[in-house]
Amino acid sequence: MTATVFERVRVIASDVFGLPSEEILATSSPENVDAWDSTQHLNFVLALEETFQLQLSPDEMEKIRTVSDAATLIGEKLRAANG
Amino acid sequence: MPISIQPYREEHQKAVKAFNLRLRAGTTDPNLVFYERAQPEWLPPFDGSPLYNQYFVALESEEVRGAYALKCERFFLAEHGEYAVACYHHPLSEGIVNRKYSAVGSLLLRDALGREPMLYALGMGGLDGPLAKMLKVMGWSLQLVPFFFRVVHPYRFFRQMNALRRASWRRALMDLAAFSGTGWLAINAAQSAKRLGRPIGPFDAVEVDEFPSRTDDLWLEAKDAYRLASVRDHQTIARLYPAGDKHLTKLCVSRQGRVIGWAVVGERRKDAKFGSLRVGSIVDCWAHPVNAAAVVLAATQALERHGMDLVVSNQAHKAWCQALAGCGFFQAESNFLFATSKKLSALLSGNLSDFHLNRANGDGLPRNF
Repeated sequence: MTATVFERVRVIASDVFGLPSEEILATSSPENVDAWDSTQHLNFVLALEETFQLQLSPDEMEKIRTVSDAATLIGEKLRAANG
Repeated sequence: MPISIQPYREEHQKAVKAFNLRLRAGTTDPNLVFYERAQPEWLPPFDGSPLYNQYFVALESEEVRGAYALKCERFFLAEHGEYAVACYHHPLSEGIVNRKYSAVGSLLLRDALGREPMLYALGMGGLDGPLAKMLKVMGWSLQLVPFFFRVVHPYRFFRQMNALRRASWRRALMDLAAFSGTGWLAINAAQSAKRLGRPIGPFDAVEVDEFPSRTDDLWLEAKDAYRLASVRDHQTIARLYPAGDKHLTKLCVSRQGRVIGWAVVGERRKDAKFGSLRVGSIVDCWAHPVNAAAVVLAATQALERHGMDLVVSNQAHKAWCQALAGCGFFQAESNFLFATSKKLSALLSGNLSDFHLNRANGDGLPRNF
C-alpha cells in the first residue's frame, strides 16, 4: 500500500468513526475503536467504495479487520484496476 | 480465518448451540439466540411451496460467528403482479459480544441481498436499533407501521400496564384512576366517542378450524385494492394457519351468507411491560377495504370473548387504520418498522397507507403467541 492510499483511507476512517486523523492508526480496529460496530463497518466500506470507485465483495469486506487491512486491500484493487 | 456464509445444515447444529451460549453469556437479552435446529420448525421448505424459511450461518472454520434467516414468500405489487420476495429476519452476529467480529453483521446483510435482492424486514424495535441503522446505511426505505390499542378492562390496565407505571407519580395517578373508577369512565367514554358516526352494518363471524376455499376468491377480489399485499390465497393461509393449530384463532366473517373477510387473532406471550395483562393481537386479516371495519370488529369481539384485557394491532393501510379507530382503538407510538431493499422499493408505488401489512408479515409467528 502506498502512503497516499493509507492517508486517504485514514481520512475516511476518521470521518466515519468520528475520531481525529492522528488517532487513526494502522492497527485501529473494532477492538480498539469504540465507534466501530456493524453499522459503522458498513459505513466505512461504503465510503471506501465511493471514494475509490470500487466494489468490494463480501469476502473482501470480511478481510478488513484493521485500517491497515483496508488500505492494503484498496491498494491491491487499484493496482489491479490500473493493470 | 476468513468467514464464509453457508446454508445451515445439521452438521452446524452443535456450533450454533455454542454460538448461542456465547451470546447468552455476553448479553442480558434472552431472545438473542438462533434456531438450534437446521430444519425450520415453522414453514420448512415443502413440496415446492413459495412460502418457506431458510437459515444461513457465518462460519469461521467450524465455529459459527453469525446467522440469519430468510422467510421466502410472494408479494402482490400493483402494476407488477406477484413477485418472489424474502423477509430478512433473526440476524445475529458474534460482534454483539465480541468486537473482533463487528463486521459480521454487515456481511450477513450483504450475503442476504446477494441471494435475494427483493428483501424486506419488519419489526426491529424502531429506528434506533442496530439493524434499522444498517438498513438505512444500505439505502433501504424505512417506515413505521401504525400501532393501535383498545383497553378492554380499564381497572386491570391501570394497575398492570408496567410500561406506563415507571415513574412513581404515574403509578399513583394510574392507581387513583383504577380505584376511583374515573379511569374506567374516561376510557369507555373515549372509546365510545370514537365509534360514533361509523356504522358497520350487520355481519356474522364464526371461529373455524380451517379456512374455506372461498378465501381464494376473496384474495382475487380484493388484492387490486392494495398497492402491496403479501399473497393470502387459500394455499398460503392454509400453510400459515393449518387446521388443528390451536394457539391462534381463525375467524371467518360473512354478510348475507357470503364470506367477506377473515382474521387471525391470538394472545401474545407474557411480556414484562404488560405485567399480568392478557394482551390479544389482531395478527392477520384480509378483506376488501370496504369490509375492513366488519373484520376488525369481529376480531376485537373474539379477543374480548377470550378474556383479553387489552387488544393491539399494527396495520398499515388507511382503511384498516380507520376501521381500528372506528372500533374504539387509540393510536400510539409505533416501533414496528417496515423496511424494503433498494430493488424492492423501486417497484413500490403509493404510500405505506396503500399497503396491507400486519404483524403476521414478520417473523413473530408462532413464537410470540
